[in-house]
Amino acid sequence: MFELFKNLGKWLTSGAQWAGSDGIAHRLTEHLQYSLIATLVAAAIGLPLGLLIGHTGRGAFLAINLASFGRALPTVGLVVLVFLASGLSMWPVYIALVALAVPSIVTNTYAGMTAVDPDIKDAARGQGMRGHQVLFQVELPLALPLIMTGLRLALIQVVATATIAAYVSFGGLGRYVFDGLAQRDLVQVLGGAVLVAVVAIVLDLGLATLQRFLFRHRTA
Amino acid sequence: MNRRTLLGALAGTAVAVPVLSACSSGVTSLDGGGSAGGGNASSKNGVTIGTANFTENQVLGYLYAAALEAAGVKTKVRPNLGTREIVFPALKSGDIDLLPEYQGALLTYLEPKSKVSEEGAMQNALTLALPAGLQVLPYGTAEDSDTFAVTRETARKYGLTSLADLKKQNGRLTIGAAAEVKTRQVGVVGLKDVYGVEFKEFKSLDSDGPLVKGALKKGDVDVANLFTTDTDIKANDWVVLTDPLNLIPSQHIVPLIADRVADPTVRKALARLGNLLTTAQLTELNRQVDKDKKDPEDVANAYAKQHGLTK
Repeated sequence: MFELFKNLGKWLTSGAQWAGSDGIAHRLTEHLQYSLIATLVAAAIGLPLGLLIGHTGRGAFLAINLASFGRALPTVGLVVLVFLASGLSMWPVYIALVALAVPSIVTNTYAGMTAVDPDIKDAARGQGMRGHQVLFQVELPLALPLIMTGLRLALIQVVATATIAAYVSFGGLGRYVFDGLAQRDLVQVLGGAVLVAVVAIVLDLGLATLQRFLFRHRTA
Repeated sequence: MNRRTLLGALAGTAVAVPVLSACSSGVTSLDGGGSAGGGNASSKNGVTIGTANFTENQVLGYLYAAALEAAGVKTKVRPNLGTREIVFPALKSGDIDLLPEYQGALLTYLEPKSKVSEEGAMQNALTLALPAGLQVLPYGTAEDSDTFAVTRETARKYGLTSLADLKKQNGRLTIGAAAEVKTRQVGVVGLKDVYGVEFKEFKSLDSDGPLVKGALKKGDVDVANLFTTDTDIKANDWVVLTDPLNLIPSQHIVPLIADRVADPTVRKALARLGNLLTTAQLTELNRQVDKDKKDPEDVANAYAKQHGLTK
C-alpha cells in the first residue's frame, strides 16, 4: 500500500509525465475544455428554461420531469447510443455531458425563482414594472444564489463524468483511468482519479469563493 | 423500439462479447492444490463443468456436457461463474472439474511473459505451467483468437490481405482497439516489432464491442482488433488479415481438467468433440445465442444431436 502511494507521488510529480500529448498538462487542458464547453451549453439551455418556467409558473411539471429524465439516463449508455448514430466524434461525449448538467441547472433556477417572495413581485408590479423588468431586476437577482449553486453542481458532475470521453477514444483525464485499467497499471488509474478529484474540488472551491464574493452584502 | 429496450439490447451485446480471450492476469505464482495426482482418475461420481461469463464459453460448457453425457458420464454445468480470475481458482480448489479454455489466453494467465504462439509449443508450455492436479487435454479444431480486420473497401483500396501488407501504408491508417492493445505484444507493439507496421493513430475503443465495430463500419478506423468467432465479421464481409509470421498466439479451444476426473472415457469424449467442432460452427452457435436469443444449453444440445454425438 505504501509502495503504491510512493509510486503515485512519483507519477504525479515527474516532469516527463506532465509533458507531451499524453502528458498531464495536455490531458488536464482537454478535460477542462470538455467540462467547460458542456457546462456552458447546458447553461445556455437550462438557464432560460428555468427562468421562463419560474417566471410564468407554467410548464414547470413538464420541464422539470423532462430535465430529470436526462439525469436518469445512464451516461455510458447514452454515449454508446449517440455514437452508433453519429460515428466517432465528440458528439456522444458532449450530448451525454449536457444531458447530465441540464437538470441541476433547470431545477435550481426554477427553485430560486419560486423562492422569491410573491409580495416582492407584487410590489414590483404595483410600482409599474413590466414583466421582463420584474424578471431581470427583481426575480433574477434574488434567485441568483440558488442559480449559482445549480451551475456549481452541474460543473462538478460534468468534471467527474468527463472521464467518459476516454471511453470513445478521446482525451481528458479519463484516458489515464481507462488505459490504466486496461493495461493493469494501478498507479496510472489512481493518478487519473486523484487528478479528477482535485480538479473537481478546486473548481468547486473557486466557484464557492466567487459566490461568497458576489453576494457578500446579502444576509442569507 | 423505445429507448429503454434499445439500451437494454446494447447492454446485452456488451455483456455477451467474448472478453476472456483478451484477458490476462497478473497472477504468477500458483501452488498446486490438494487434488489427487494421476493414476486413479475416475468420472464415476460425475463431472462438474464450469464456464466463464460470456456466451461462447457457456456454449462450450454445454457442448462438453452433451459430449460427456453421450459417453455415459454424469455432468453438472455451472454456467456464468465469472472471469478467469474467478473460475480458475474454483477449478484448483475442486468446486469444478472441467473448464473450456483457450490456449493463448490461459498461458498468458499462467505465464504473463510467455511469447510462445504456435499451437503445439503452446500445449507443451501449458503443461509445464499448470499447477499439480490440473492438465490440458488435446486442443480442438475450433479457435477464438485475436484478429485484425479491415472492411472490404479498405482491403481493395490498399491491397491488404495480410498483416505484412499494412507496412506499405505506414503512417496512413488508423487502428481501433481496446486500450490494452496499445501496449500489448498482440497489438501495436508486436505489429511494429514483427511486421514493422506503424499506424497514423491509435483509437482506444472497446474489446470487439459496439464501439470498435461501429467505428470500423463507419470508416472512423481502418483496422480493427476483433475476435475470430465474431459473427459480425461475416455479416459485414470484413476481411481478416492473415498472420504469416505468427504474431498472434494460437487460441485453440482446449479442455482444462482436474486430474481426478480425467479418465479415458472423458478424454475420448472431449477429443471427439474437439475434432468435430470448427471455428465456423462455433461462430454460428454464438450467433444463435447472441442474435437469436436462444438458450445456450438448447443450442449445444441441438448441435450434439445434429452431429451424432447423442442419439
